[in-house]
Amino acid sequence: MKNQLSRRSLLGRISAVAAGALAAPVAKAAKAVTQKLLVSSDAPKGYDPTQHEWVMAIDANRCIGCGLCAEACKKENHVPAPPDYPPCYFRTWVERYIITEPKPGSGAARGETLVDSPNGGINGYPEAPVPKEEIQHSFFVPKLCNLCQHSPCTQVCPVGATFDAPDGAVLIDPTYCIGCGFCIQACPYGCRFLSPVTKTAEKCTLCYHRITRGLKPACVEVCPTQARIFGDLKHPVPDDPIQQFYQNNLVEALKPHLGTEPRVFYAGIDKEVR
Amino acid sequence: MRRLFNMPPQLFRIFLLAVGIVASYSVARYFLTPQSFREYGWYRGAALMELATRDRVYAGKKACEECHSDEYQKLLKHEHKSLSCESCHGPGEAHVENPDNPDVKMAVLHYSLCLRCHEANPSRPKWHKQIVSKNHYPGKCTECHMPHSPSEVP
Amino acid sequence: MTNEITNIVQVVMPHFEGYVYPNEATRQPLWGILIVLYPYITGLVAGAFIMASLVRVFNVKALEPVYRLSMLTAFAFLLCAPLPLLFHLGHPERCFEVMMTPHLTSPMAIFGFVYAWYLMAVLLLELWFDYRRDFVEWSETTPGFKGMLYRLFTVGVTDVSEAAVRLDHKTGHVLSIVGIPSAFLLHGYVGFIFGSIKANPWWGNVLMPIIFIMSAMVSGIALCVFNYMVLTWIRRKTVDMKCLDAMGMFLFYALVVDTAIEGLDWIHRIYSAEEGFRVIQYMAREKLFYTLSLGQVTFGTLVPLILLGLLQLIRRRVPELQRRRMYFGSACLILTGVLAMRWNVVIGGQLFSKSLRGVMGYKMEFAGLEGWFMGAALLCLPFVILTVFVKLFHSERLPSK
Repeated sequence: MKNQLSRRSLLGRISAVAAGALAAPVAKAAKAVTQKLLVSSDAPKGYDPTQHEWVMAIDANRCIGCGLCAEACKKENHVPAPPDYPPCYFRTWVERYIITEPKPGSGAARGETLVDSPNGGINGYPEAPVPKEEIQHSFFVPKLCNLCQHSPCTQVCPVGATFDAPDGAVLIDPTYCIGCGFCIQACPYGCRFLSPVTKTAEKCTLCYHRITRGLKPACVEVCPTQARIFGDLKHPVPDDPIQQFYQNNLVEALKPHLGTEPRVFYAGIDKEVR
Repeated sequence: MRRLFNMPPQLFRIFLLAVGIVASYSVARYFLTPQSFREYGWYRGAALMELATRDRVYAGKKACEECHSDEYQKLLKHEHKSLSCESCHGPGEAHVENPDNPDVKMAVLHYSLCLRCHEANPSRPKWHKQIVSKNHYPGKCTECHMPHSPSEVP
Repeated sequence: MTNEITNIVQVVMPHFEGYVYPNEATRQPLWGILIVLYPYITGLVAGAFIMASLVRVFNVKALEPVYRLSMLTAFAFLLCAPLPLLFHLGHPERCFEVMMTPHLTSPMAIFGFVYAWYLMAVLLLELWFDYRRDFVEWSETTPGFKGMLYRLFTVGVTDVSEAAVRLDHKTGHVLSIVGIPSAFLLHGYVGFIFGSIKANPWWGNVLMPIIFIMSAMVSGIALCVFNYMVLTWIRRKTVDMKCLDAMGMFLFYALVVDTAIEGLDWIHRIYSAEEGFRVIQYMAREKLFYTLSLGQVTFGTLVPLILLGLLQLIRRRVPELQRRRMYFGSACLILTGVLAMRWNVVIGGQLFSKSLRGVMGYKMEFAGLEGWFMGAALLCLPFVILTVFVKLFHSERLPSK
């Protein structure tokens, strides 16, 4: 009796150990299969994001409001556009500010400020709504993702679909985003939108598929006056335009009181710009 | 175990249910969390490569130099040197990948494109060359100006 | 530049005034009626539960007749709470990600856990411990499918001795105590979602979670008044006036606190008049006139305050029929007023541009996920579920027995 019991208990223990040893690879294989079915697949590694620090700068003194940047962005990134979709989806756009002369005798330093961005500035701008003599100042400001150091958009994502990449870009994982829209509400600069095509959040990616191959973002590429300046802070080139921009300009960041610490700096904008 | 903790039956059943729920959650979490999550941060590390391997639409200025070096060099010697070829000619990646295919064309250009940048506008900076087109000349811009070498007389 | 030369697309965008960021010029706001309904429903859950816990934790004997109805109300509404969220997501099939990889810096990530905790560990458990004795009795006396259901609900535990029932009572008491902060968390985190958005001056302020919780209390108690009176009327019974008076009293004082805090928010905004104040004022006046000035403030708050306040002062002189009408009327007004408040918060925050220079409009559609029909359906569904519950779990037993 004792022998039978001990043999049975020994067999029991051996099979338990074998089951335990098999459990780990079985679990791993099962996980791989489940991942293939339910969760997006992996891709091979290549470019090292920790070796770069991409940044963009805007020189509003140089912007002529041609809208080539906004148009190039739409084409490069297949952003939903008319006629198939309404004109309210932009990864980047250009705003026009017109600061009018004060009314005579009003005692004010300036008149009212008029801002517009017809179709994001893609097709240029119509005639100014006020005659030339009434304009005190007027300028264009290209707008895009401000690449915040403390981005409120990545802070509020409930699943980790939008994130700060190690190389400075703020990106969205389109296969993981659930489309809740919290990041779009949290961005103070209005640079995010919910794509009607993918039903996920979308925003400027600094043309990640271009910069990781040594090209410039599409908007920087086509800008005729170098109002948009792009560079890698970890690998400055000779006569680096981004270094020259920082050296030669006093700059502003948008909405600094919100503490987002934007990394996109603007030169030549007025206090009226939001 | 029930005897161990001396739990009344209703509490013990609830306790078992709770353990079951937490266990199944842990198992589900193990299987449903993507492989590359937490690689760089609270996101799928594989997303970086997926975003980096999308197709391009614009080719970049350097890509034009290989076959069109004459125009490229002429451009660099004159006022439009700060422009990219694609600023005016539109996206070029399709043409770069199919240079011999006559159906893959660059954008057809019209002289009105010149006015997109050069039409006078009070919002444009003063250093930028701009004209009031209806006062400047009634005909085509290219009758007097060559886009690759604007200050050269044709 | 003339139009023909630069070939401008003439885009007619009638639904905004002033300047809005191009991404904000959508016809519908991103968070529509579905996101209005979610805090409304969870607020009703939290409020109904808090009222029920007044019985268990604070031993308010007068509210005992409505204890079980409040718990069932909370349960029915909680079951419907995830539906608006699920319908609103761009990718509802990925909703499990919130529980698999919850991003701990996001208030929204807490949803899956706090919902599961509140549903299972608080509501279901407390209901089970309260109904356990009845399940055992009913499973033995009811034939057929219903009897099988009751047997299932007993979870195999059939001990109904004095000691077991005492234990049920004690556990229910503990669960109620645990449930109060859980209810605050269930609804307060939604307020924090809005309160944490510093980019939006209408939403991002510290009072937002408190305002949400207080208006949730008010709406929950009003819902219990409404349900109790409707149910008694359907069953052709007489309303327990002591119970109704007690509910009315709690409703009044909750409404006073809620009004005070919301009033504080308004006074502070108007007084400090920060940068976004001008556009917010314009938006509230032009776009939110009906839902704010009329719906939320006048009919949703002031009129019930007067009605309920009068009843607190001169209750004994008001005949029973008038009292019942005043309670019922106040409850209905408060329910619509709190719904209007959720609308004003959620939609109002999306009706002005973050450039602080423009306002947008919102015309709701009838059909579609964010339309009138869906909103009405989602509001009716909890009542349908509650009807099923009331039929299945009908019992006149009071919690103290």
